[in-house]
Amino acid sequence: MKDDYLWDKTGQPDPEIQKLEEILGTLRYQPWPLELPVSRRRSYFPLLAIAASLLLALFAAGVWLQVRNQTAPQPREAKAISTPSSVEEKKPEQIIPKIVAPSPEVIAVNHKHRHRSVPTALSTREREEALLAKQQLMMALRLTTEKLSLVHRKPQNTTPANQIKNQHRVG
Amino acid sequence: MKALFRINLILSLLIALAVVVQAQDSRLQLSSLDHLAAKANQTVDVSVDERLMKMAAKVFNEKDVDEREVKKLVEGLKGIYVKSFEFDTEGQYSAADLETIRMQLRGPGWTRLVNVTSKKEGNLEVYLLFNGDVVGGLAVLHSDLKEFTVVNIVGPVDLDKLASLEGQFGVPELGIEKTKKNEQ
Repeated sequence: MKDDYLWDKTGQPDPEIQKLEEILGTLRYQPWPLELPVSRRRSYFPLLAIAASLLLALFAAGVWLQVRNQTAPQPREAKAISTPSSVEEKKPEQIIPKIVAPSPEVIAVNHKHRHRSVPTALSTREREEALLAKQQLMMALRLTTEKLSLVHRKPQNTTPANQIKNQHRVG
Repeated sequence: MKALFRINLILSLLIALAVVVQAQDSRLQLSSLDHLAAKANQTVDVSVDERLMKMAAKVFNEKDVDEREVKKLVEGLKGIYVKSFEFDTEGQYSAADLETIRMQLRGPGWTRLVNVTSKKEGNLEVYLLFNGDVVGGLAVLHSDLKEFTVVNIVGPVDLDKLASLEGQFGVPELGIEKTKKNEQ
């Protein structure tokens, strides 16, 4: 194969070279003078980008607020409490020992009695969930205070021993 | 195109940061301890999030003084999470298990309030998360030879209110108020 085509465009042209010529040919020198634009076209791209970004942020904030609101309680349900006072007076006596005891039988009995004082606006499922949550809450609080009491008990235990030691030294 | 990409990137980062800040509350990740349940002879796993907390608040009896106090305490809270494991034999949990919790408690905002170590009762640490001057959470880490307990209260914990629960619902006497006053 001769390389004359590249030198003076004679001989057999290489198809790849021809393809390149076609592609780059659009950029070859044109003899007409350069036409400068009379008025520069204004680009709205940055504004659109800002608007799109703001929309994205607003959408994210909206989703976030919606998720937060879904977890918030409905005030209508909280107000609807109508239970006879005689039942409520008995309630503390029933609840106190039953929350402390962790056996499942006691918890089941506890549910039965406490249903009477639950607000009527709650559905059965919600009520059960609320009671279970309350039980868990009480258990967690009990465990927390138990552990915290260890902190308090520790210095108390050491005090008498120190006093005895000091008395021994003084005496 | 580049400008759009940059602005979107910055906004996404800001949103992500807001989410992280929101999530950077006092909630600890306790799921790494789940494998201990298989070894434990007794497990307490309490997970009450903000929604359940609010639901539970509905069933507290307003006329009962004790329940009213508990309700007041939990009203501002965002969650209570407890994992407690009691084992038959010693050495069922590893130092790595402890470290996964301690590592989180070394994060920004957390302050170790108390660290009690005794042969009888093991090691007990109490941490508070401060958001400025406000307490944003509480964590209690108790590790004994046969017990491993983590308590995590998320939200503004009122220690005075917590102290007011002493002796109620089987809650033992704490003396938190007395301790605090003595320390001051």
